[in-house]
Amino acid sequence: MLKVIIIDDDDIMVFLQRKLFQRCGLAKDPISFKAATAAIEFLKNEEINQHFLILLDINMPGMNGWQFLDFLKEMEISKNVFVIMVSSSIDHSDKEKAGTYSNVIDFMEKPVSIENCNRIKEYVLLKEFFPN
Amino acid sequence: MQYKSVPLHILIIEDQLCDFILIEDYLNKEQNNIKISRAVSFMEAENLLKSSTFDVILLDLSLPDVDNRETLAKNIVILANKIPVIVLTGYADNGFGVKSLSLGISDYLLKDELNAAQLSKSIHYGIERKRIETQLSESEKKYENLFDSSPLPMWVLDRCSFKFLSVNAAAVDLYGYSREEFLGMSIIDLWAEKESPETEILDLIRKDDFFKLNISRRKKNGEIVHLKIQSNPIIFDGKNASVALANNITARLEAERALKNSEKRFKALVQDGSDLVMILNFDGSLTYVSPSSKLVMGITAELLINNNLFEFIHEDDLDQVKEYITMLHQKKRVQIPSFRIKTSENKWKWIETILTNLYDDTSVNGIVANSRDITEFVQQEKKLMESLNRYNIVGKATSDTITDYDVQNDVMHYNEGMELMFGYTQDQIGTKGAWWDEKVHPGDAKRVRSKVDQVYENGHGSLQIKYRFRCADGSYKYILDRTYLVTDELGEPLKMIGSMQDITEIHNYIETIERHNDRLKEIAWTQSHVVRAPLARIMGLIDSLENFEDMDDQAQLLTHILTSARELDGIIRKINSKTDESISQSRKC
Repeated sequence: MLKVIIIDDDDIMVFLQRKLFQRCGLAKDPISFKAATAAIEFLKNEEINQHFLILLDINMPGMNGWQFLDFLKEMEISKNVFVIMVSSSIDHSDKEKAGTYSNVIDFMEKPVSIENCNRIKEYVLLKEFFPN
Repeated sequence: MQYKSVPLHILIIEDQLCDFILIEDYLNKEQNNIKISRAVSFMEAENLLKSSTFDVILLDLSLPDVDNRETLAKNIVILANKIPVIVLTGYADNGFGVKSLSLGISDYLLKDELNAAQLSKSIHYGIERKRIETQLSESEKKYENLFDSSPLPMWVLDRCSFKFLSVNAAAVDLYGYSREEFLGMSIIDLWAEKESPETEILDLIRKDDFFKLNISRRKKNGEIVHLKIQSNPIIFDGKNASVALANNITARLEAERALKNSEKRFKALVQDGSDLVMILNFDGSLTYVSPSSKLVMGITAELLINNNLFEFIHEDDLDQVKEYITMLHQKKRVQIPSFRIKTSENKWKWIETILTNLYDDTSVNGIVANSRDITEFVQQEKKLMESLNRYNIVGKATSDTITDYDVQNDVMHYNEGMELMFGYTQDQIGTKGAWWDEKVHPGDAKRVRSKVDQVYENGHGSLQIKYRFRCADGSYKYILDRTYLVTDELGEPLKMIGSMQDITEIHNYIETIERHNDRLKEIAWTQSHVVRAPLARIMGLIDSLENFEDMDDQAQLLTHILTSARELDGIIRKINSKTDESISQSRKC
């Protein structure tokens, strides 16, 4: 089973993504966090073998996306976590920076569309979790 | 006959008393001032001769203690030491009489024939002959001394064998051979070149005539001496000989040769030197021109002498040249500042001239001018001056401060920039490197130092560095320094030449521009993130409305859209006001 987590401080964005993921069959009930720190706490209590797909916003008050990634890579669960960076604007430097984190598998510019969702399901790394 | 006022002292050697008395009688008959001593044996005679002096000896050859007449006569003659000895004998033995004369006996008288007058005559003849003999031998001695003590080397040569018969002390000194060595040598042994026989000299010596000659001879130590000899033919010990007087002229010849060489050298210097030497008069007429005129001016010495020097001098320089020549009335020597002379190609050459008044030297009787072609030098100097002028103009034209640091002596020079750019007065500007170091902003000093050290270490290259430099009023200026290291051939640093460009203005511009950039970046970031956030939301919401018509919470979606649109509006207003602020700020700068 692949658990999908949305980390974004924007309520409306979370609301929209949850709806979208449910409709596209990406996740029946995506877990969402308004603060990255809360997501860290959540992951700490999860089982090591559990796989996660996290849609991570970059710009957030408090711990931002990058800081979250720094924490994540130190965690034991890290190897089973796939991260897609989601931002209202992704520039070149962000892409370069993301390349240094092994957890990041893709970027997406907001708003996340149906096409985006369908693409996620096609990822080689994630294919096993979406048999249809 | 009175011969001497002092008594004539006569020794009579006679053992027979009767004979003695007879002789004494004869003597007393003819002489009135005589003193007679008698010896009866050779031994007694010997004692008397040693203890007293006599004027004449009368000897009887038959004495009891000597058998041999000849021996007796010889010994008495020796003992008599130049006193005349007259032999009186009883025998008529003419043979011995003649022989005894050769033994040094002055007369030989027979007792039987003896009379007073004869005896007296013989005594006086004997004394007189001895006196003359003594005089002669003394005169010979004097001549011998003259020969031997002569300061000039002299020798006597056998004119047949060319062997030395006699040499004097000076000759011994000159040649280094001893007298004995000389007497075993011939003049041929002294020839400087034994293998080339000097037959002319031998011929001259053979001739019975006076001659003078200059010759070279080898000394015992191998050195060559040069002699001027005068030779006269003489008879020496019965041989045909020649006496020669030598004058050692070695030193004189060497001095002459040295003089000749020095003359030659001098001639070479004047004739073949590159300098132009002239002898002229006050009116510019020439009496001598060295052949180097051909080299310097392309004009032969002959042509120059026929003309006046002034005709060849550039008209702009002529008055000055004349003025300097006039100075020679008061001064012995003057140097004329360089002037131009015309060459054969009608071009001008610069020459530098020293004039010496040698009118008081009769062999010169004029002004000696030594001139040197300095055209090349003058041209180079001109170029150098031009280049220096250019450098100065550049130095003035630049608004930079030029630094010139003498690394080895720790001396720093600045152009006016140090005053104009930084406001330091001449008194305030230090000449040591440390003065400059101390003015560099503490925040930049370490970086500047390490860069400079790096250039020293590399031993070459230039350096371009920005730093802050303190002005006289304590404020700092931003400086762009471009410095170049000059090294000697071994790579040792000699000088650091640099220019300090005031880039405070540029720096301020850049700071302003950077601030603008920061603002623009902020605007851009705001646009991409802050603006796009509500926009993305709106897009997402609309997308949801379109794609999921069956959504039950459409009203909620619309509310979200409205909220997001308002948020977007607020953000855009904010951007506008920020941009305005930025523009008004940049206008102030």
